[in-house]
Amino acid sequence: MRPVAALGLTLLGAVAAVTAAAATVDSTGTVAPVAVGALPLPPTPAFTPGTPRPLGSVRHLSHWAPVRRATIARSAPDDAAPAVAALATTTPEGTRNAVAVLAVRQDGHGATWLHVRLPVLPNGATGWVRRRALGGLETVDTRLEVDLARLRLTLYREGRAVLRAPVGVGRDSRPTPRGEFYIRNQLTRYRSAAYGPVAFGTSARSSTATGWPAGGFVGIHGTDRSDLVPGRVSHGCIRMRNPDVVELAKRLPVGTPLTIH
Amino acid sequence: MTRLTLEAIDRDEALLEAVAELHGTTRAGFLRTAALGSAAMLSTLMAPPAATAKVTDVAILNFGLRFERLQATFYTQADELGTIARMSDAKQQWARTLGAHERAHVRIIKQVLGPKAGRRPSFDFGEDNATDAAFTRTAVAMEDLTVALLTGIVPEVQDRRLTAALLGLLTVEARHAAWARHIVGSTPAPAAFDEPMTLAAVRGAVARTRFIVRQPKMTAHRRPRFTG
Repeated sequence: MRPVAALGLTLLGAVAAVTAAAATVDSTGTVAPVAVGALPLPPTPAFTPGTPRPLGSVRHLSHWAPVRRATIARSAPDDAAPAVAALATTTPEGTRNAVAVLAVRQDGHGATWLHVRLPVLPNGATGWVRRRALGGLETVDTRLEVDLARLRLTLYREGRAVLRAPVGVGRDSRPTPRGEFYIRNQLTRYRSAAYGPVAFGTSARSSTATGWPAGGFVGIHGTDRSDLVPGRVSHGCIRMRNPDVVELAKRLPVGTPLTIH
Repeated sequence: MTRLTLEAIDRDEALLEAVAELHGTTRAGFLRTAALGSAAMLSTLMAPPAATAKVTDVAILNFGLRFERLQATFYTQADELGTIARMSDAKQQWARTLGAHERAHVRIIKQVLGPKAGRRPSFDFGEDNATDAAFTRTAVAMEDLTVALLTGIVPEVQDRRLTAALLGLLTVEARHAAWARHIVGSTPAPAAFDEPMTLAAVRGAVARTRFIVRQPKMTAHRRPRFTG
């Protein structure tokens, strides 16, 4: 029997059953309806959905995406536009490469392009990449700020400060770069007291330590010399006391925008 | 010759997850590395499922949660990316209302499941929520699929109170599907009866979309080589 026909018969049967249960027939053949109150009560729902809430402000939200395929970032959303940088799928640390997503646009052929912040020199570089080269978009509601003058790091969540900590930053000969960046990855359980228990990779790169292994990327990490924090002591990285960086790791998702000023 | 395993072909683990649901995690774990077509794999698959193989209400709700999260993320991202803002007023109202409903569904199912709620998967909608046309096409298909899914799984739920609550969800999703079809100028109620889909069938349909993807590896245990 076709499923639809079976369902139809089931429904007809159900209607007949309800009719039979809700009425009685007397000796003269007259049908007397049964009071509705005599019927069993319907089961109480396990939950009652509340009023749906529209999407709130997106002011504090940022997007990032993993790089799924090696690709070329271009100066405009066009395959013929000049190349800005090549994007690999992995970072020197072995994690998936990522970019911060700033805008979306369609080209004349209907292809979608994303305007992204790039982990390349010069710092602050942006470019356009094909949507299909990137993986799923992720959203964060956090923002990290490092104040080089006050030697202070502040983590914001939905616009509210949730963590403040002193930091060590680059000395005059190896300055920590200023600008807009993002958190690229997180490293843990490695053996290196100099980097403390947790380290975050950022998209910022030292413009003076270009010959550094793995490209001279600036990290945010713990230290075995907490007595030097706060201070201008590093080669460009942002050092934190170990308890502070552990607290940061509980609250800082990958993809968080980073402002160094 | 490299032996072909289930793990090698089941990259988003949809098959392994289905096996785990039917046969338990131990057997799924064994099948993960067993060679495809091997005697060991065949005998394990042919053995009767364990006594606990019955799909529980928790498993059904978790699948529902996974699907509602898929929908909620689809609409939310389209809103955040500005896709919805570029639509006509009527379509904006439709898309934003559906997004709000799907987020409400996620919240409530998560509350019901409490600590038994599964982790949020990663989603990749590619270009399917980046343009008006692609978004609309996908939304219509997704709402129709949701109705078929709920119609199929609601009768499997053991707890009558949950059944009643899920029926409340089903009717709203049916309204979504009708509204979506109306938006694209299609018949809101194309048939007298909806064909229910089984959990396995919907799982297959979701897997084919490739919207649910493996979490990207963003953490590592390597020694940092930052500037220090």
